[in-house]
Amino acid sequence: MAKHQSSPESASSQDANSQDANHTLEPFFVLHKAQPQATVVEKVSRSGKGRKKGTKSSPKSPEKSKRTTSDEQPSNTLYEQWRFKAFNEIWSLIQSNIEGVLRDINLKLFNEVLQWVEDSFSEIKSNVKLSSSEIQQPYPLVADTLFRKIPTAFVLTKNAEFVDDIQTFCDLGSHLKSNRCHVANMSALDFSLKYGIGGSVRSLLRQLHSEPLDGKIADMFTLAKWYCENNNKPIVVMIDDMECCNADVLGNFIAMLSEWVMKIPIFFIMGVATTIEAPKNMLPSDALQHLDPCKLTLGTPSDRMNSLVESVLVEVCYCFSLGHEVSVFLRNYFLRHDGTITSFISALKLACSKHFSLESVSFLCLCMLDQDSEERWSEKFVYLPESMKRCILNLHSCKREKNLQGDVGSIIQLLSDLKASQRCWSSVVLCLFEVARHSKMQFLDIFCEATDPEVYCMNNSDNSSKEHFKCRDKNSTERSSSGVASLTRVIHTIREMPVAALSNLLDKWNNHTEEMTEINEEIEKLQSLLASVNEGKVYEENLHNIRNRKSLSVLSGKGNSPNEKVAMLLDAMIRKYMKSIECMTLHEIICFRDVDVLRSALIGDPRKTIQLDLLKCHSYLSCSCCSSDAKSLSPSMHDTSIMYKLAQEYGDVINLYEWYQSFKTVLSSASHTPRKRGRPSPASKKAKPSPASETEALIQARFCGAVTELQISGLLHMPTKRRPDFIQRIAFGL
Amino acid sequence: MAPKRKKGGVEEGEVRAQEEVEVEEEEEDEEEEELAFSRNYFLAKEVGSASGKRSAARKVSEINLVDEQLLRASLSELPTKHEKEIGSLLESYKGLYSNWLFELRCSFGLLMYGFGSKKALLEDFASTTLTSYTVVVINGYLASVNLKQVMTTVAEILWEHYKCKAKTSTGKKQQTQLPSGLKSVDDIVTFIVDISDDCNCSVCLLIHNIDGPALRDPDSQQHLARVSCCSCIRLVASIDHVNAPLLWDKKMVYTQFKWSWHHVPTFVPYKVEGLFNPLILFSSGHVQTTKTALVVLQSLTPNAQSVFRVLAEFQLANEKEEGMHVSELYTKCREQFLVSSQVTLNAHLTEFKDHKLVKMRRHSDGQDCLHIPLPTNALEKLLQELV
Repeated sequence: MAKHQSSPESASSQDANSQDANHTLEPFFVLHKAQPQATVVEKVSRSGKGRKKGTKSSPKSPEKSKRTTSDEQPSNTLYEQWRFKAFNEIWSLIQSNIEGVLRDINLKLFNEVLQWVEDSFSEIKSNVKLSSSEIQQPYPLVADTLFRKIPTAFVLTKNAEFVDDIQTFCDLGSHLKSNRCHVANMSALDFSLKYGIGGSVRSLLRQLHSEPLDGKIADMFTLAKWYCENNNKPIVVMIDDMECCNADVLGNFIAMLSEWVMKIPIFFIMGVATTIEAPKNMLPSDALQHLDPCKLTLGTPSDRMNSLVESVLVEVCYCFSLGHEVSVFLRNYFLRHDGTITSFISALKLACSKHFSLESVSFLCLCMLDQDSEERWSEKFVYLPESMKRCILNLHSCKREKNLQGDVGSIIQLLSDLKASQRCWSSVVLCLFEVARHSKMQFLDIFCEATDPEVYCMNNSDNSSKEHFKCRDKNSTERSSSGVASLTRVIHTIREMPVAALSNLLDKWNNHTEEMTEINEEIEKLQSLLASVNEGKVYEENLHNIRNRKSLSVLSGKGNSPNEKVAMLLDAMIRKYMKSIECMTLHEIICFRDVDVLRSALIGDPRKTIQLDLLKCHSYLSCSCCSSDAKSLSPSMHDTSIMYKLAQEYGDVINLYEWYQSFKTVLSSASHTPRKRGRPSPASKKAKPSPASETEALIQARFCGAVTELQISGLLHMPTKRRPDFIQRIAFGL
Repeated sequence: MAPKRKKGGVEEGEVRAQEEVEVEEEEEDEEEEELAFSRNYFLAKEVGSASGKRSAARKVSEINLVDEQLLRASLSELPTKHEKEIGSLLESYKGLYSNWLFELRCSFGLLMYGFGSKKALLEDFASTTLTSYTVVVINGYLASVNLKQVMTTVAEILWEHYKCKAKTSTGKKQQTQLPSGLKSVDDIVTFIVDISDDCNCSVCLLIHNIDGPALRDPDSQQHLARVSCCSCIRLVASIDHVNAPLLWDKKMVYTQFKWSWHHVPTFVPYKVEGLFNPLILFSSGHVQTTKTALVVLQSLTPNAQSVFRVLAEFQLANEKEEGMHVSELYTKCREQFLVSSQVTLNAHLTEFKDHKLVKMRRHSDGQDCLHIPLPTNALEKLLQELV
């Protein structure tokens, strides 16, 4: 199948005898083909996209799951499949939410663009009417630049990173396509110097043509011919990251299209990351004069982030949620890493997959999606073996619950409580967001604070749950960096809100708290109070009556302004209902808390880690022969590790001779004392049973091998011809 | 590869060549100066003081080097230190296989890093856990990896499944070979992307050293990134270079490769990976230069190769000579019908000089002459392999 290339290296290979060795020197090979029965399993799991109503994730045959411990391996596979199914369903729910939110945010802009395309198209159509034969002719040339202008929309993305805009432009493309436009979505790769303008035209044609361009020459005549066959629609050429394109190629492309613009109605939509001045600075003037610009602006990443937090992290928090430390980490990752939504979403997906991959009972969260969750859990628990039930009871949050009864009924009750609590939590957080929207606060800050179990414990100081969190790592840096007192700011905002805004706010709260009757009633009372304030009929006695009614003790406070009352209501809601998920029993089933796992999977730092591997190899190998002291050197240590530790003593460049001698000294010394670099003393050369040259060869071989390994790791530059005796270090410090 | 166009005769060419040599030297000096100031103040100081003592710096030649063959032999037979501990370290990773598979199924790419060869670990993972995937292993550490061939193989695997599916669903007879229009890697990758949604098979690309010499260029990485986001393709890759993440931009990382990083130091020696690296103590030797020269020469036209051969044979026959005069070379090449004019020869020479196959030298008689900067035995080896 594979035509394996005969490499020049293969001639010099020494151990090409065995099959394995052959494989190591082949550029590539097929290790094995997919096993048919295994593929079926995969297919089932892959088709799990989109939740189908009515499908139940309980095992098909109850006997299968009633296994003894000897049968643990297959049953593990079964639970893994359940977890994978759960991941698929939860993630597709989250993803559809994400897509919906982003689409809604951009819809206004998309409609603006569409309107602009339609207006410009009808203008061209009304001015020029050509037959198809005229369209296909390059002549007469359009000399007047006035008629050679291509309508161009510069979309300011307000985003230094174009990665977020790729999806936006894709969505825009499909929006335009569904509204009678031909769309070509091009990127900077299509305007590279390497392929030139030919590559650009080819890419344009490839996207417009539904079938491949077999044998056709990619030029404007082909485009003109194609347009005649698919007439009466504007052609929209979108370039998502205009500033990354090669200016000359793009300039030529514009100039070339401008000659045809009266025959083939082409429109440009270009994404500009910086300012509207960028095209002027970048494009040559002869290309610029052919553009008829129009400016449009996308929403900022922080607006998008707010909507995402609201619809993804809060609204679906009852089936998957993030622990406080993870939230703070993700917030910092967004704010300090690159500020792109894409990276945030990929981090969230990774967190989600890690949760379902590592938490053995996470599949139970799937039942949270159903209305009749309790019934679903009861069905599920019938089939669960004892070992799985033990797993549930061994969860950290279960262990800290002293009065927990281990029976199925109480577990189901706890799960229902968890779901109910999360629903209340999300309602309160949504109310907070409504206020934050007014004062332009970042939702993510509020979210982080709302997930903090300490906030809940502080608010409910008499609550016994406080002691549960004493064991938490107080040194955590993530915790201290979270937004301080966002909740206080929110409450403060309410105090300063005008009455009209307050009334709007209460209307929105009313929607969010439909399921919380107690709160809902209070809100309605406040609404009526506000209405009377608006009408100027605030009666002291009326207030007095209201104050006397004690339910949430909200209205009995000293403050008598409506703002104060709303603030107090919110405060009471926070105290009573905003219970952080980490305070709940069984939260592990839906809550991902392992920030270290997420951090290491998300931000691999090979530069630091590989150096640490070498400097602290003992911590991985944990052998008895070497010292665990990071600074000491012993001959039994890994050669490359010795070499790298020795290299630490040098500056920018390492003298090969000296390095070799130090290495030799370490290898030939029996003592474990650290040695400074320098020339070997004759005494350190021990007499060996083998002949001297053989020992020397061995040491030299080890030296060469270690240098090669360091070179592969990219920690060294090989000597230059001018300085053959010095090697250059590349990585400094961790 | 296209030779630079230069008008004018021999003289102008020679002057240019001389200038080039000078520029080159200047560049090297600049590089050295840059080195001194590139780091922080203290390091720069240290280098400064080191350069002061340079006359006293010891040379590699002072080491009592053993024979290269003996050294290579001992290198291949080196006993691995901590074999037992390495074994248990690898064993400990086996417990993570199911988690890795889970992430792979969640459409993440696995990126393994950490010190030590991960070849055995990853192939063990693939053969024990990835049974539901067709696994294509790419030895990225080899310079001979040809991405087009790899992609053709992947396309063939997918095409086979696609055909079967189309046959069963439509009952139509499909063509048995890959479509003929696929000429470039780009076309093949586009083809893979197009049919991947309709394939019900899963292919896993296992790339040892995705940061390897043949895959390091942006184009290869772009192709891999495009393929990796296909619905039926999964990627498991390893990196060893500390700066490997610089190969990817944000689009590739977040939307295409979707890496999930795994730190798996193995401390297994890089035996295969380092097989073709020159030995540091013999780095001024011929292994690398012969190889690189051969690679360059093989990419040139047969005529250019023959011109080089004429020059090389002259140099071997006249070892004591400082080099061959350009006019002499021209005469010889013309006799053998290798070049028709001085311009053609100059084109070849420019190509040689660009790739440092040939250097200009001032002959003792004052004329410029051509010289191949390779030792005699390396040159002989090169000529043998060039056949």
